[in-house]
Amino acid sequence: MPAHRRLLIAAVVIAALAALWLALPDTFFTPGNLLNVSRQISMLCVVACTMTIVMAMGDFDLSVGSMASLAGVVAAVLFTQDQSIAVAVAAALAIGLVGGLINGLLVSYIGILPFVATLGTLTIYSGAAFLISGGKTVFGSDIPDAFGGFARGGLPLDAIGLQGVRLPALSVLALGVVAVVWYLLERRVFGRHLYVMGGNREAARLAGIPVRRLRLYAFGLTGLGAAAAGLMLASRVASANPTQGAGLMLDAIAAVFLGMTLHRSAEPHVLGTLAGVVLLGLLDNGLTQLSVDSYVREILVGMLVIAAVGLAGFSRERSRRN
Amino acid sequence: MQVPPHETNSNHRRAEPGRMPGLPRLRAALTLMTALALAALMLPAQAAAESEVAVITPYLAQPGTQFYVEGFEAAATEHDWKVDVIDTQGDVAAVISRIEDAVTQQVDAIVINVDPVQVAAGLIAAKDAGIPVIGMDSGNDPLLIANVTSNGYAMAAETTAYVVNRLGGAGRVVMFVFDAFPPVQARGVIADAIFANTPDIVIIERVTPDVADGGIADSRAQMEAILAANPDAGSIAAVWAAWDQPALGALQAIEAAGRDDEGIVIVGMDANPEAREAIAAGGNFEASMAQDFAGIGSAAADIVARTLAGESVRESVVYVPTRLITRSNASEAD
Repeated sequence: MPAHRRLLIAAVVIAALAALWLALPDTFFTPGNLLNVSRQISMLCVVACTMTIVMAMGDFDLSVGSMASLAGVVAAVLFTQDQSIAVAVAAALAIGLVGGLINGLLVSYIGILPFVATLGTLTIYSGAAFLISGGKTVFGSDIPDAFGGFARGGLPLDAIGLQGVRLPALSVLALGVVAVVWYLLERRVFGRHLYVMGGNREAARLAGIPVRRLRLYAFGLTGLGAAAAGLMLASRVASANPTQGAGLMLDAIAAVFLGMTLHRSAEPHVLGTLAGVVLLGLLDNGLTQLSVDSYVREILVGMLVIAAVGLAGFSRERSRRN
Repeated sequence: MQVPPHETNSNHRRAEPGRMPGLPRLRAALTLMTALALAALMLPAQAAAESEVAVITPYLAQPGTQFYVEGFEAAATEHDWKVDVIDTQGDVAAVISRIEDAVTQQVDAIVINVDPVQVAAGLIAAKDAGIPVIGMDSGNDPLLIANVTSNGYAMAAETTAYVVNRLGGAGRVVMFVFDAFPPVQARGVIADAIFANTPDIVIIERVTPDVADGGIADSRAQMEAILAANPDAGSIAAVWAAWDQPALGALQAIEAAGRDDEGIVIVGMDANPEAREAIAAGGNFEASMAQDFAGIGSAAADIVARTLAGESVRESVVYVPTRLITRSNASEAD
């Protein structure tokens, strides 16, 4: 996408954030609030970044929300059976990986369209979460204090002059996931192959790229990320119920789209996705602080996504013509 | 929704000579985004009221929640408070985020309508900032000043006893429950206990309906399946629902199956307007419990007012009275 148009998008985004800053001079761009936002978006960040992996090759995964719920429920139910945190977390992540690989198998080896395959597994994982939990919310003394405490904890920042402010543990975790996904997509052959597949799958196959296997792996990683986000969510609410991850999927896809508008070739890249997630989080936070009606907020966010992607779509058409 | 945007996607819309097809779209997108920025600038212009109270709930789509928010807002107007109602649409984690935002915004009090245990992270942030949080039918928690609610145990006991007495202590019963939401779970526990204490009552199904659509449609579908599985007249004697929506869904299923003449007794809870209408019509839907939703809202406002006035509130739970609604009183206003 031409540089001036990307610049334009960035300028409008910065103008919107500056408007929030002006309207909320004392409470918006403060370290405390920004760290708060970083914790609020950490779960979405993990889902969106791992969603970027499948979207890089032109696929997507609708089952991430119910996988997040399922992972949280699996860990919580293991807690009720007096399993240790390590066992519960490992089991939940394993479920995520296996669930993701199942998506990959359906899409890659059986050849079902990602929309249909992951819509199917969305329902299956959601049903499994209800089944395992018996439809109940697992909470209270069943959840170990250390598990719920993790989401509330963080690294004290007194050393860099921010007294009484902590860098949230959830934010650190999310940044770690961003770094790993960035390395995989931008610095490894794996990532380069995914983008080639996204450009033209048939050409990628003819060029000798193991298309099927890479799609399988990519979906596996997305499932793993969804499970990690589900655990973070369960830690944050110190409980697990079979629907709590449901909101993550659409926001994650929206964040990836927003990020694509910031990239030269309008491809999904993880740093763009991170920018999309941060933008969604700052808008949510700022508009809440401005007491904007929560439904109006949703309309504004939807308009933002359409406006940004509209700009990017325009430039794609144009770059093809040129 | 085939997303790959960087995939060659046919060569439709060739450039028309002498015209820049993208420009109007670019302008439209720009206008939209400028409008966004302007909207953000204009909104804080509202005048500063006496006190600011944030009401945060994931459940505003539920009729009951709407009524107590209205009750709260009515009382708040008298106190000249500015009330922000925030609905996170079923997302409990977002309630924590919005509580944190309200704390950053330094509101004077926060009212929640969500299980406090699940939003403890937000409640701790509020406590650290010295901002009082009051529960409006939320569940009890030491981090709350108080929780204002109806006595769910007592309500469930009344409708369950109604069913047992109408059936003469014998019959096959379908239950609609929702154990994921603690206040509704408590109702189910009491119903379980009373039915279990009546030897000739048999629970044939204990259904948790999908509430994403409001609870009626899925309950109807589930009840249709249960009716199909129990085709004989008298094989289902009653439907006990932990709230009104499943009761209404069950009623629709029974009427659609042409089995409304079998004397199946349906009871719900909360006595919402649709339920009252069905009860007043004198069909299978016989009874429900009226919570005083507006009363819960205004009682919560009362606790907020007392807290803002500096009083330390001693009672951790405030019960607002309820009453049994049957055909005889369904049309009366509360």
